[in-house]
Parts: sequence; structure tokens; C-alpha cells
Amino acid sequence: MTAEQRGRIGDRATLGIDLAGALALTGTMITYLSATAALPAAVAIGYGEAFWPFLVAGGLTGAVGFGLMQLGRRSPGPIGFREGYLVVSLTWLLAAVFAGLPYLFAGEPQLSRPVDALFEGMSGFSTTGASVVADVESLDRSLQLWRQLSQWLGGMGIIVLALAVLPRLRIGGRQMFESELPGPEVDQLAERIRDTARRLWLLYIALTLVLITILLLIGFLGLDDRLDPFEAVAHALTTMPLGGFSTEARSLELFAPLTQWVVALFMAIAGLNFALLFRALVRRNPGALYRDEEARLYGALLLGGSVLVFFELLQADLFAGEEAVRQAVFQTTSLMTGTGFAITDYVDWPTLSVMAMIGLMFVGASAGSPTGSVKIVRHLLVGRMLRRELRQTIHPELVLPIRLNGRPVDERTLRAVLAFVLLYIGIFIIGAALLAIDARFSDVEIGMTEAIAAAAGTLGNVGPGLGFAGPMGSYEPFSDFSKLVMVFLMWIGRLEVLPVLVFLTRNYWRV
Amino acid sequence: MRCVCVAATTAGARPQTGGRGRLPRAVKIVLVGAGQVGSTIVEALHAEHDLTVIDTARDRLEPLAYRFDLRTIEANGASRKAIQQAGTRDADLFIACTSRDEVNLVACSFARVEAPRATTVIRTSNVEYIDLWHEGRLDVDFAVSSEVETAHAVSRSIGMPSARQTDVFADGQVQIVEFEIAADADTAIVRRKLSEAPIPDDSRVIAIIRGDSSTLPGGNDMIEPGDRIVVIGSPTAAREWSTLLAPDEHAVEDVVVFGAGQVGAAIARALTTQGIGVRVIEPNRDRAREVAEELPECRVYNTSGIDVDFLERERIGRAQAAVFAMKEDAKNHYAATLARVHGVRFTVAVVHDTISTKVYELSGVDVTINPRAVTAEEIVRFAHDPRTQQVAMLEGDRYEVLDLTTKPTSEYVGLRFRDMPIRGALIGAIVRDGRAIFPRSDEVLQAGDRVIVFTETSRVADVERVL
Repeated sequence: MTAEQRGRIGDRATLGIDLAGALALTGTMITYLSATAALPAAVAIGYGEAFWPFLVAGGLTGAVGFGLMQLGRRSPGPIGFREGYLVVSLTWLLAAVFAGLPYLFAGEPQLSRPVDALFEGMSGFSTTGASVVADVESLDRSLQLWRQLSQWLGGMGIIVLALAVLPRLRIGGRQMFESELPGPEVDQLAERIRDTARRLWLLYIALTLVLITILLLIGFLGLDDRLDPFEAVAHALTTMPLGGFSTEARSLELFAPLTQWVVALFMAIAGLNFALLFRALVRRNPGALYRDEEARLYGALLLGGSVLVFFELLQADLFAGEEAVRQAVFQTTSLMTGTGFAITDYVDWPTLSVMAMIGLMFVGASAGSPTGSVKIVRHLLVGRMLRRELRQTIHPELVLPIRLNGRPVDERTLRAVLAFVLLYIGIFIIGAALLAIDARFSDVEIGMTEAIAAAAGTLGNVGPGLGFAGPMGSYEPFSDFSKLVMVFLMWIGRLEVLPVLVFLTRNYWRV
Repeated sequence: MRCVCVAATTAGARPQTGGRGRLPRAVKIVLVGAGQVGSTIVEALHAEHDLTVIDTARDRLEPLAYRFDLRTIEANGASRKAIQQAGTRDADLFIACTSRDEVNLVACSFARVEAPRATTVIRTSNVEYIDLWHEGRLDVDFAVSSEVETAHAVSRSIGMPSARQTDVFADGQVQIVEFEIAADADTAIVRRKLSEAPIPDDSRVIAIIRGDSSTLPGGNDMIEPGDRIVVIGSPTAAREWSTLLAPDEHAVEDVVVFGAGQVGAAIARALTTQGIGVRVIEPNRDRAREVAEELPECRVYNTSGIDVDFLERERIGRAQAAVFAMKEDAKNHYAATLARVHGVRFTVAVVHDTISTKVYELSGVDVTINPRAVTAEEIVRFAHDPRTQQVAMLEGDRYEVLDLTTKPTSEYVGLRFRDMPIRGALIGAIVRDGRAIFPRSDEVLQAGDRVIVFTETSRVADVERVL
């Protein structure tokens, strides 16, 4: 045996994963993603603004990605499912960095600090919608559009996009697909994962185009003076991914009721499982929506939440008539689906409504949609598990498989669901605690509810919190440490906790 | 105590029409499989017919050869050579009844090539094959499943208290029940025109039998006290009829099935489709889970069935009936006795070893059912009379219920039910895409529908020709 061979054996014993291969694949993702910077650059040229920040950001990211790709030469072969966790997690982290670069390079005063730029970038790709920019309207048009676009790209998933577009990733794609697309189980629409990814993206693009058309039409017909074509496109780009960034400082407050209703409707649609939507809309089987248990519960919760808030608003004499209905429906839909748009500053609402808003942040929309948070199907399954425990207390020998849409759910899946929910709650508590502790050491004045809302809003990829971080405010006053904590929360929340936590464990790296 | 031994009376239908009539005397029969089913068939048929038996095991063949006058071939039934050697070319009837589905299917497909005119019969444990055969997609003339036959036998024995006779079709989705109308019956149904009587949904009266005469009723006919009526309908509807006609008798609502093997699961399914609440006890953890997934309506317990604490806690003694379908007769025996100790009033046990029938009976089991015997009887019945469209007989042999698949060329296809001429037969139900439909008058008959027809025995040939 030569010394070289022995050395190689030694290498493998220390590292359990193919790091070079994983980094190379991450590089590929990032390189292709960097091309998207061309779009805001074109807009910048159109508006006569500085276009070079986007080109530099894209070029730099592309160069880093290309450099990582070169590591692939040392990789022994195609990467497996174990490397997938690292690829997914790193890709999303680097994507956030990439999204933040143009803000830095443009010298935008509100985003001049790297932490702020990273926060805004992560909030973009993770479709959170929490912003450190207080005065959005003063941003360059191209920067405004870049914020919106980053949410749109993050909505259906960077990896899912890569799977749809790149031919190279077919092997090992399944596992990464699953760890990125929200929900415990992925519904296969086609034999090949690539075709499934394409269909999901095409549907996503089609729905976005429909929304853009409707909003353009509203503006064109003079039904909403504020809705110019730029606003129409910008808001469609953050409605479909359930993102929540707006080009207006006061979110959607100043738009006409009709616009608000349309956006509410599309938030509700985007909160449905896209595989199910595909069946309903493309394969013309709308009954599939009604038969799906998750979709039914989703509808019921939207309705129930809206009714609750509606009566509370009437009680408090804040709104009346159509406006009360609209406020209740819009805010419930926005917070439950994790969008984070607002049509009023609900910070001043009565306690019960504010509590409802925070509670809704933990609900989420359907699995397989761009939503964040826990998601309906997990609530459904946890509820059924609890009911089973109750029944088995009386009848210990009774065998009770848990079913979803009539099909029995594997016990391993159920355990993963339970683990997810517990981890989610645990991370939320730790996150809120860190924010509260940090507030004591910095000059930020936040109370318990604000800390809770900020942690829930970022971990659930919702966006706005309460207090100064409310829907009309910004996260700017938080300390750098708090912002980094929330960047982490957005990151781990978007990837559904497990992929990030797994690669942070020691066992992941060992043989 | 009601009955002691149950024999099968139902079978499925053969999709191809053309009744062959009784077998002529002394035909040539090739039989694959000399196990319990095979032996029982041999015993029933050897006197009249020339038999060749194929089996892999000499120790199963030898006793047969010594007791009966037949030819034996020691070979694998799935081998083409063995089938040729058995003289299948000249055979009139080919029966594959090993315990393995695949062997039976392969043997039958070889036999089909070897002797295209021979009638073929397979035994299968897979309900899917039975369904395929019903739909005419399995190239055999007759298919029998031990599990299904046993399940039907059990559900008949537990059945409905007020019914004279019950038969189930299409996996239990369709039931035909004969009721006796008490002389003092005073319900909304009696002495009213059928078109005005509150007849349960998804059901229809297909015959009113009064003394020696009977009618296929129309909307103007009436049910009189003392009549017997034949009703076809869904399991739920059949139960509604039962409560309507005998309000004092309690319908069976709670049956416990011990053992969830293939037979136990089939029994549980058959009872469930009748609307009976079923509790299943299965000692094997994985199997319990499987059955619980398969049968969402049943409550499945993962325990031994002889755990006294469990029996007490789950109030097993309050069940109206218990069925013992575990794999070992000794366990069934003990569990049945234990259940009786706990207060179960009616017990049914499945027999694997023939001798167990006696043992069970001695210890007070009410009904014993031997799946292999039931299957063999069914095959023998078919061998004697291969007109398999006939699936049940009522009133001795005056009426028959046929299970037919409509031909595309039938003049009835495309007609609405109200436009169909009545010629001594009634379509009580159709099975379309595996689901039973109880047709309303504006329903249209489609080609390929499986129809369940009630008719007088003398008209069977006409019905078979027309549909």
C-alpha cells in the first residue's frame, strides 16, 4: 500500500460526508441563481438608476459559486441523501447573502450595514417579509423590485427551481426536494422529480401572471388610483409566495378595497397545496380540493379565524360593515398563511384580536404551498395522534392507524411530525428568550409580547411582529445580535427545522 | 342453538354465458392438488367420473390412490409436462385447487391451451382474482375462494334474526333476503301499494310469495300478512327491512372475530359490509396493524384473546356472537370456551383439521365451518352443474338469482329501467365499476354492467340469452 492510498483511507474515516461534492453542488445552485440579478439590473437601467450593484453582486456570487463547483472534481461521485441536508441549508444561506449584496453595493443608507442587508436578504428568500427598512418608498425602484423578486424566487423553492431547470441534478434530487418543499410528504405529480418540479413552477408562474393581469386591470380601469403597473407587478410577486414585502411603507393600507380583496383571495389560493391545485386547476378536478382533508381544515380555519376577529372588531367598534369583514378576512388570511401584508396597523386592535394574530402565526397554510410555520396537515396529524392517545388510554390493546385522506400514515412519518412540532416550539421559545435577553443588554425596549411576536413572525416566515416591528414598522431598532438570531430563525423556519439542525449535529459529519 | 354445520350455497357468477347443463356421466377430470380440498373433491366425484390427480407430495397422493380408483401423477402442477402427461387434452373438467394461487393460475392457463374446450376451475385466496373473474378478465370458468366462501358462511350463520334466508353478492354490497311477514304484522309496509309504502332506500321487493303462487311485483301490488317476500338491497337497507318487519328482535350489532389471518379478515369484512359492528383480536402486532389499515370500520385489538383481564375490561362477554378464526384449532377451542365462560352466547369456529368439528361441537360451539370443505363442496356443486350464472336458489329451486354481465349486443343495453319490458325477470341491482347501484326507474343499463337478476327457474335460459 502506498502512502497516498493510506492517506486517502485516513481522510474518509474522519469525514462522513462528501464535503467537496456537496459544496460543488451548492456552487452550481448559487451560480445559476446569480443570473437572476440581471432582472433588477435591467429595471435599474429602465429607471435610470445604478445598475452596477446588481451586476457586481451577481458576478461575485457567480464567481464564488463557480469556485465551489471546481471542488466537484475531487468528489468521488454523485452525492447521496446525506449530503443533501448540507446542500439545501448552505444554498439557502448563500442565497440570502447574495440577495443582500445589492443593498450594500447600492449604498442605500437604510441597508448600509452588512447585518441589515443579510436580514433583508434572508427575509426575502425565506418569504418572511420582515424588513429593517422603515421608509421603503425612498428606496430605488430597482432595489424595491429586487426585494419583491427575491421573495418570488424563494417561494416555490430554489432547489425545486434548480431541479426543474438543471438537467444535472436528477440523481439525489428527491431528498433535497422533500427537505425544501414544505410539508411532511411530497405528492408526486409525475414519474420524474424533474417533471414534478416543472409542473409546480409552471403553475406558480401561471398563477402569478393571472394575479398581475388582474391587478394591472384594476389599475388600468381606474378602480385603484394608487395601483400603477409597478405596484401591480411588485405586489403580485410577493402575494403568490406568501412573502409580504411591499413597496409601500404602510403595506396595502392605502390600496382600494377591491385590490385588498383580490390580494386576500390570492393569498388564500397560494396557501393551498400546489400539487392539489395542479389537480384541481390543470387536470380539471376541482372536487379534489373538497375531498382533501387538509384543504377542508384550511378553509374552516380561515373562516373560523375571520369570524372570530370580525366579531371582536365589531365589539370594539373599530370598523363596521364591509370594512370590518374585509379587515377580519384580510388580516386572518395574511397572518395564517404567513404572508404578513397588512391593511391596518393591528397593533392597536383589542387584546383578543392581537392574540388571534399571534396564534395564527403558528397555524400556517397547507403543506406543499410556499407558507411557513407548522402547517395545517401537521396540526391535523398531531390532533389525531392526541385523540388516539385518549382512546388508547381506555382501550390499550386497540390498534389505531392514523389516516390522512383515508390512507394510513406511516408511524415514522408521525414521529417526524411530532418531532418537528416539538422542535419548532422549542426553537421558538429559545428564539423569543434570546430576543428578550438581548433587549435587556441593548437599548431596545421590547416587552414580552413583542419578543414573542418577533420570534414567531420570523420563525414562521410571517413577517411583521408587534410594537415597533409591527406591520407598519420595521425591525431596524433591534440589536445586531437579535437580528442575527432572527436571520437564523427565518433560515431554519423556511427549511422546516430538520435539515438545518441535522447538519449542525456532530453525528452528521462523522462516519 | 341454531344450526350445527353450514354448507355453502352461493358462488360467484361466470361471465361467459351459455349454460352447459349437467355434466354427462363419466367425464374425465384432471385435478391439481391433493390436499384437504382436493381429497374432498375426489371423495365426492370418484364414483361417477374418471379422475387424474396431480400433486408434488407422494404422501398426499398415496392414501388417495389406495382408497379410490384413480390415477395419480407426482409432479408440480405448474409444469406443462405434467399437465400433458395427465391427459388434459381429453379432459372435460380441469380443477386447480392447491393452496397456492400462482400454481393454480399457471396450471389453468396451460390447461386452457392444452384443452380449449375443457371447463376450468381455480381455487384462490385472493379476492382480487375473484373480482377479475367476475368481470370476465380472468380466463377461467369458475373461481372459488376459501376465504370468501367461509366469510359468507359465517355471515349467513350470524345474519339477521328475522330473515329466512340471506345471500350476499358483489363482496357483500348486495344482499338478497327472504322475510316472512307475520300474520299479525302491522307495519306501514303491509296492505299498502308498494309504490306508496315507505320502502327503505336502495332496496326493492323482487318477489311476493303467497302460498304456492308468486308475483314479480309492480307498484300496485300489496304485501299481505302471511306472505313471504324477497328483498334485494344494500346491507343497510336489508337491516332497515329487518327492523321494519321484526321490531322486537335485536339486530346483531357487535361481533368479535378472534384471529385476523386471511380467513378472519375476510369474515370481518363480510360482517362489516352487512352493517354489523366488528371487533377483531389479533395476537401478531404487524398483522394487527395491517388489518386495522385495511378495515377502518373494525376495531382491531392487538392481544392474545385468552387474556382474561382483557376480555373482562373490553366487555367481550357482551358481544352477541364471537367467531374463532385463529390458525390453530386448539387455540380456537380454548378461546371459544373462555368466551362462553365470559358470557358470549353464540360462537362460530373455523375448522382446520376435520376432527376438530367434533371437538368443537362437544364443547358447545354453536356453528363450525370448515373452509376447505366449504370450498370443495362449492367446486363439487359446480362440477355437477356448471351453470354458474345461478348463484342462489330461493324457495327450493323455484327461483334463481343470476349474476350476469350484460353483452354489448343485448337489446336491453341503453334502455331506461322504466322502459324495460317485464318478462318474468327483474333486475334487482347492477354492479358498475365495482360499486353496487340499486337502479331507479331512470337509470340506464350499460354494456358490461354486472346485473343481479331474480327470475323463475324455467326462464333462466331466456334471461341468459337476452342480457
